[in-house]
Amino acid sequence: MITSIFLIPILFIISSVFLGFSDNFYHLYENLLLEYSLNSIYLVAGVSLLVTILGVSTAWLVTFFNFYGKRFFQWALILPLAVPPYLLAYVFTEFFDFSGTANNILRNLFTTQSDVIFFPNIRTIIGAIIVFGFTLYPYVYMVSRVAFMNIPASVIEASSLLGKNSISTFFGLSIPLIRPAIIAGVALVAMETLADFGAVQHFAIPTFTTGIFRTWTGLYDLNTALQLSTMLLLVIFIFLSVERASRSKIRYVNSVTTSNSYKPIQLMRFKSAAAFFVCLIPVFIGFFLPVLELINWSSQVDTLVSTKIFLAASNTLYISLSAAVLTCFIALLINFVVRTFGISQLLNDLLSLGYAVPGLILAVGITKMFTSVDAWLINYGTFITGSILGLILAYIIKSYAISNIVLNSALNSIPIALDESAQTLGASKLKLLRDIHIPILKTGLLTAFLLVIAELIKELPATLILRPFNFDTLSVSVYLLASEERMFEAAFPGLVIIFFGLIPIYFLNKLILSNNK
Amino acid sequence: MKINKFLLLALLIVPITLLFLTNTNEEVQNEEVNIYTSRHYDADNLLYEQFTKKTGIKVNIISGKGSALIERLKAEGINSPGDVFFTVDAGNLANFQKQGFLQSIQSEIIKQSVPVELRGENDEWVAVAKRARVIFYNPELVSEGEIKDINYEDLASDVWKNGIAIRSSSNMYNQSLVSSLISNLGIDETEKWAKGLVSNFARKPQGNDRSQIMAVANKEALIAIANTYYIGIMLSGKGGKEQLNAAQKVKIAFPNQNNRGTHINVSGGGVLKHSPNRENAEKFLEFLLSEEAQVHIVNNTFEYPVLESVKPHPIIESFGDFKMDKTSIADFGKYNPEAVKLMDRVSWQ
Repeated sequence: MITSIFLIPILFIISSVFLGFSDNFYHLYENLLLEYSLNSIYLVAGVSLLVTILGVSTAWLVTFFNFYGKRFFQWALILPLAVPPYLLAYVFTEFFDFSGTANNILRNLFTTQSDVIFFPNIRTIIGAIIVFGFTLYPYVYMVSRVAFMNIPASVIEASSLLGKNSISTFFGLSIPLIRPAIIAGVALVAMETLADFGAVQHFAIPTFTTGIFRTWTGLYDLNTALQLSTMLLLVIFIFLSVERASRSKIRYVNSVTTSNSYKPIQLMRFKSAAAFFVCLIPVFIGFFLPVLELINWSSQVDTLVSTKIFLAASNTLYISLSAAVLTCFIALLINFVVRTFGISQLLNDLLSLGYAVPGLILAVGITKMFTSVDAWLINYGTFITGSILGLILAYIIKSYAISNIVLNSALNSIPIALDESAQTLGASKLKLLRDIHIPILKTGLLTAFLLVIAELIKELPATLILRPFNFDTLSVSVYLLASEERMFEAAFPGLVIIFFGLIPIYFLNKLILSNNK
Repeated sequence: MKINKFLLLALLIVPITLLFLTNTNEEVQNEEVNIYTSRHYDADNLLYEQFTKKTGIKVNIISGKGSALIERLKAEGINSPGDVFFTVDAGNLANFQKQGFLQSIQSEIIKQSVPVELRGENDEWVAVAKRARVIFYNPELVSEGEIKDINYEDLASDVWKNGIAIRSSSNMYNQSLVSSLISNLGIDETEKWAKGLVSNFARKPQGNDRSQIMAVANKEALIAIANTYYIGIMLSGKGGKEQLNAAQKVKIAFPNQNNRGTHINVSGGGVLKHSPNRENAEKFLEFLLSEEAQVHIVNNTFEYPVLESVKPHPIIESFGDFKMDKTSIADFGKYNPEAVKLMDRVSWQ
């Protein structure tokens, strides 16, 4: 039952393939498909490389060394997670624009001429790679950090006893050991990048998602747009499989964990400063720069706080909290059922697809599904299209993958033998779930819950189309103001989104650090 | 541990109950009108409040991208609570009408006050405000004599090599402009023109209309194509000081004044076919076309009014009168897909 709710919107999208290909599809195939694909590939490849470099190097420094500012960076490195890519894209374009802050500062410093440009055009693939790289690297940072901490101290010590220095231990030993974790993190980032619309749209880069929307809004051809989405889904499914395959290997590393009491090496002078800057750059570009610039914009607006923003803020909180609770609950149930009734993991993979479907397309699928439900519900004088329930359902479908990834790996770390002995002792399945799994999974549940909230606070496209009358969230306010090109007024709700995003991140950090002890 | 369980339970129960509360809350209130709009200017909200104050009819808004709203309306079918569809692009409006979502407007007041070319064939929709897509130039780089008698057609000429700034072809205003050219010149001629235009681009299409105007002010381009109301917003100081400075450096030329006139686009709306509050919907449209509302619109969004008795904002009025292209707005919708494909073929990003 639950499964079908998840799958119908996706099946609706895929079914477009069987409705025949129109002239528009051939038009796209001849003129644009190659460009879309190449751009998407460059983008994903570039972002993957960047997040790997940023995420792994910072995680390595913070785990194995002591240097100036380490205590700060330990948690600060996750902060960019609170910044939605579209916000960073807005900030970047204005900041590095001809008359933006960056060029103005440098002009004041070095020259008196007012028409010199210091920064190249940011609205390019490189620009987009930077935006995604610096907002999404925390995914890789987090998984790498946990994985690094789980490498037994004895392994690292053995390596240094054998005369290897830190660098060669890093490349020769640590990296191969945590490779599955890195791949899992990068796969998540790749999916987010492929499904994003706001940032690439703002940069006007012809990728697969921009192509989907162009086909829909310009050619008035939803079916061809859905066919393109299906192709995208296929790619995403590959990433999902890669992610899961890697995750199953992570367990192997975990199981050899003996002692974590590895003593970090103290870095001196130059090396300490170098480590400081390596960690500072991602935090600065991904978090402090956008926040400062948004504050700067907000300060130029007369009335910041209005009842409208207050309402939007409480709507955002209310709906993402409810959806997050339900998502985790459902993910827990499904994972439990898959485990105890021996159902294929494929089920979970299918349910996770919603994560990677561009939000607006997913929303169309959901609307179609609701219509058929409504045709029946209308007899009872109510319907779900345009209700809070509808929106929450969309949120659940969208964010299931995140909670599933966390809960699935947490559940896998509980030995099956434990279940078997519980059942031999006569415990019912319900009792097994309630008294054994849930208490063990407490941290996993909380992590999943926090990650989902952090994600949903930023959600835009599905909210925009599925929300009830007069129901604004923060991201909707930002979007509406930004699309009117009123960036300064959009800045404040943008800041509130970042602030709300910080709350779950704060708790996530606490969780990760307490794991460390 | 016990407390945690209770917490978990409470966290689960609270949202679920709230869900059902909100969902049954959809009883039809007596006096309301439900608007689906892709025109989400903040100034419009004040307008809606005025309407409510005047008539006691509550205005409910759902805003989003036009094409997404259309999908939602399609899906809702005869159960749709929507009364009015309101959007910023004529192509959208015409396409929507063609798919049979709108019913004819009955109001005699509207029929009398709005010229026939600003209404649907059978009054399925009505324009509420107009904007012209004009050429901005930097007088330091381009003389008035060079640009005075310019036509859109001339933009393909070598004179403008590396000189034109315009946004992406994904933008609906560009799609409507190209559709109007297809309607007047035919597909082949328009494609030739577009090829020439693309070869004259000063830079890769990027940013919004305002950044095209900025590019001209900063001498990144000789001329830019953008809508009139943007310069109004910039000159009013609403966009900040930088934009004001930039806007003061550029001038406007209205193309095709010696022939069919300058391309205009409209914001407009219509009554939805399954509208449950049809009378209120008509009252709402009548209100938008009242002098009071038109004055509010021109002063806040810097668009051109639809009523002849209302004058544009002084800033906009200062650009002078011009001849408007009367190419059928229905053609914008008809040729929009062709326009997009054509722009694809000439690699207009």
